[in-house]
This record gives sequence, structure tokens and C-alpha cells, in this order.
Amino acid sequence: MAFRRSPVDDTVVGKVGRVTGRVAPGEVGEVMIPIRGGSEAFNAYALDPEDTIRVGARVLVVEFEPPRTVRVQPY
Amino acid sequence: MEALIVVAVAAVVVLLLVAGLVKLMWKVAEPDEALIVSGLGAGGDGRVGLGFKVVVGKGTLVLPGLQTVRRLSLAAHKGELTVHCVTTQGIPVGVRGVVVYKVGDQLGEIANAARRFLDAEGEMDRNVHEVFAGHLRSIVGTLTVEEIIRDREKLAAETRSSSAAEMEKLGLVIDSLQIQEVEDPTGYIENVAKPYMAAVEAEARIAAAERNREATEREQAAAAEAAKAVSESEIAQARLRALADKAKAEANQAGPRADAEARKAVVVEETAVAELEASRMEKRLQAEVVKPAEADRDARVATAEAEKRETELRAEATARRVTIEAEANAQQRRVLAEAEAVAVERTGEAEARATQARGEAEAAATKAKGMAEAEAIEARAKALERNDEAVINVQIAEQLPEIVRAASESFKGIDNLVVLNGAQGMSGMLGEVMGAGLAGASMFRDLFDRDGNGTEKARGNGGARSESRETS
Repeated sequence: MAFRRSPVDDTVVGKVGRVTGRVAPGEVGEVMIPIRGGSEAFNAYALDPEDTIRVGARVLVVEFEPPRTVRVQPY
Repeated sequence: MEALIVVAVAAVVVLLLVAGLVKLMWKVAEPDEALIVSGLGAGGDGRVGLGFKVVVGKGTLVLPGLQTVRRLSLAAHKGELTVHCVTTQGIPVGVRGVVVYKVGDQLGEIANAARRFLDAEGEMDRNVHEVFAGHLRSIVGTLTVEEIIRDREKLAAETRSSSAAEMEKLGLVIDSLQIQEVEDPTGYIENVAKPYMAAVEAEARIAAAERNREATEREQAAAAEAAKAVSESEIAQARLRALADKAKAEANQAGPRADAEARKAVVVEETAVAELEASRMEKRLQAEVVKPAEADRDARVATAEAEKRETELRAEATARRVTIEAEANAQQRRVLAEAEAVAVERTGEAEARATQARGEAEAAATKAKGMAEAEAIEARAKALERNDEAVINVQIAEQLPEIVRAASESFKGIDNLVVLNGAQGMSGMLGEVMGAGLAGASMFRDLFDRDGNGTEKARGNGGARSESRETS
């Protein structure tokens, strides 16, 4: 139907987000990612498990684990 | 015509019917909710394995009777938590917190939540409360009191670490977890705070004391300044008052002083008048009494003085006359005496010169005669060796007239001879002269007896003459 014409932007992979909670081994980080016209917080892990990413760094979302977990690497 | 109206009415009715049906069948999701459509054909939406249709942010046609639609709120919920727990230091604390959560916007989360909480949102709050109470307890167990109070970042990280997986299961997202209050029954926080409080209090007291001291100093300085100003003001006032009093006193004195001055002037004037009157009286007295008396006295004095003068002049004249007479006499006598003296002197000098000349001549003659006589005597001596007495007598006889003449020579130079003893004196003197001549003759004899020097004889005559002059 005509209602499907406007696709909802609900993908996160490939997007660049900002770290709001430190990403480090043994911890669950937090990343703010622009999505659906706004921004949402996702639980984040580093793609390399040994990486530590400080708060405020820009990261690239590499993987998405539904419903709300992403793996990121420094951008 | 009637048929046309019927048709039109029928059409309108059909349209209304269709509109009502569509209205009944078309469901629209609000921005904060999800429509969960289940029933005929809901699972065949290309969404594999979901089993129902989720509609977010748009409308969908729901076939009544064949499908059912439920609404799941995506709005935020708030849950308050009160947990008694123990920190990592073993200190019991009461924590009161707030958790803000919502159903996640991801399709999987909506599905998870829909399956668990659809039509049971009260249940959701309760479940979340329970879950979070447990999580908070465990989170606090990993923190210290200080971290609970201060370290929000760590609190959030711990919250995520412990609850992320569970929340994903429930399809929920935690927007915020805040600890609002920490109850501290053991007083730990207070005690932790005490050193800081004490330090702060000490600093505050020190600062207060210093400020107080400064303020006191300033106050005292200000008070001193004020006192100084007051003192100076009072001094100035007193000085001015003294001046004013002095001026007032002077003003008060001015009246009496002016009176006194006026009286003094009057007295002065009166005195002057009295003096003038006295002066007038005195002048009158002088004119009437003193002047006549004085004139009388002056007249008498003048008379007396004239008499005195006359007497004096007379006496003076007498004295003068006597003096002049005396002086004349004296002068006369003096002139006579001087003339006499001059005469005597001249006579003496003339005699002296004559005697000298004569003496010299006689000496020369005597010398010559002596020389000749010496030769003669020498010659005679040879003869006298036989008859000397006879020769001496002859010699004296030859010389006698010469001796008498020499004696009379004494009277030859005298012009006038005053003989005081009369004839007796004259004869005496002559006797003496003659005696001297005879004595000379006898002496000559002696002389000739001894050495025959004739000059001695002449000298002996001269001495006799000078004695005679002294007696005159």
C-alpha cells in the first residue's frame, strides 16, 4: 500500500555514534546512535575485546545484536 | 424525480456506511505507542517468526472479527526504589532511588515487551521494581559509600553491567537511574564528613576571628578617630567659646570703661581748669606780691652789689697802687743791684784779665829774670860759697821797693772803696797789706834760702789780694 513509501530508518550498522559510557573489557559501555530521526542509547561492546574506548569518543557501529546491543570500534 | 432523490439518499447512506466501516476498521498508532495486531494474516507481513504485526507511528486496517489490536505504551515510566543494603565496606545504608525506563523502540524490544506486559502495565511496574531492587542491592554491594555519593559514572556503569541483559529480555530501556537519598543509620557519612567539616569550621572560625579582629581594629581605629575628632571639635568649640566669652567680657567692660574714660576726661578737664585757676592765682600773686618784692630785693641787691663793687674797686686800686709802688721800688732796687752786680762783675773780670795779663807778664818777666838771676845766683853761689849772708841781704835790699809796689797794686784797680771801719779800718787794712808785703819779704828770704824760686812769691801776693776783695 501507499503507506510503505516512507521507509523508517531503523538500521544502526554503519552509523557513527558517540560513547556515553566507557567501553572497556568486563564492562558494558553505552553508545548514543542516531536512529528513527532521534537518538537512542545502545549497550556497546568493543569489536576488539581488549579495546578501551573513553567517554566522548566517536565510534563506528560494526555489528548489531538485537534487540539493543552493538559492537563498535573507534572511528 | 422521486427515484432520483431515493438514489441520492441511498448513495449518501452507502457513503456514510462505508465511511463508518472504514472508521471502525482503520486504527492509527499514537507517536508514543505501538499497535500490536494479531489474528488473520497478521503474521504474514514479511516479518518472519514474529507471529503478530507491530505498527509504530502509522495507521493500519484491522479487520473486525478477524483481527484484534492492542496498544502498548512506549512512554517513559518511573519507578521509585527503596532498598536497604550493605556497601562494599560492610556499612548498612538505606538507598532511595528513582529509575526511569520505557519499552524500547526496537522491534525486538517491542515484541519482547508485548509478549510479557501487554494489557498488564501495572505488572510491568511491579516487575521492574522488584528487578531493580535486586540490581540496586547488588550494585551498592560493589561500591563504597563515597562512590555511591560521588561517582555517578561508576553507578551508571555498574547498573548497565548488571542489568543490561535482563532489560533486553524484558524489552525495556533504562533511561536513568538516580540515587536520591542515602540513609546512614551508623553515622558513617557524618563521620566521613567530620574532618572536612572540622577543617572547614576551623577555617571558618579562623576567618571569622581574623575578620572580627580586623573589624575590631577598624572599629577601634574608627572610634579613636571619632574620639579624636570629638576631642578636636570640643577643643575648637572651647577655644571659640573662650574667644566669645572674652569678647563678651570685653563688650561688658566696654560700657564701664567708656564711663570711666568719660569721667577721667572730665577729671582731666577739671584738673586743667584747677591748674589754670591756680596758675592765674599764682600769676596774680606774682604780679601783686612777688614782683614788687623781687623788684625791691633786686634794687637792694643792686645797691649792695654796687657798693661791693665800689669797695672792691677801691681796694683794688689801692692794692694796685701799692703793688705798682712796691714793684717800682723793687725794680729800682733790682736795677741798682743788677747795675752794681754788673759793675762788680765787670770790675772783677777786668781785674781778673788785668791780673792774668799782669801775672803772665810778670811770670814771663820773672822767668826771664829768674833765668838771669839763676845764672847770676849760680854765679853768685860760687861766690857765696864764701859769703852768702851778705849776698842775700843785698838781694833783699835790692828787691824791697819792688815788693812795696806790689802790695800797693791791690788798691790800684779799685774805683771807689767803701771803708766800713772808718780810719781805723783803713789803717788796719793798710797795715795788713803792708804786713803781708813784709811777710812776703821774710818768706822770700826763706824761699831764697831754700831754692831761690821767684814765682812762688808772686802767687803769694795774688792770694792776699783775693782775700781783700772778699772782705769788701
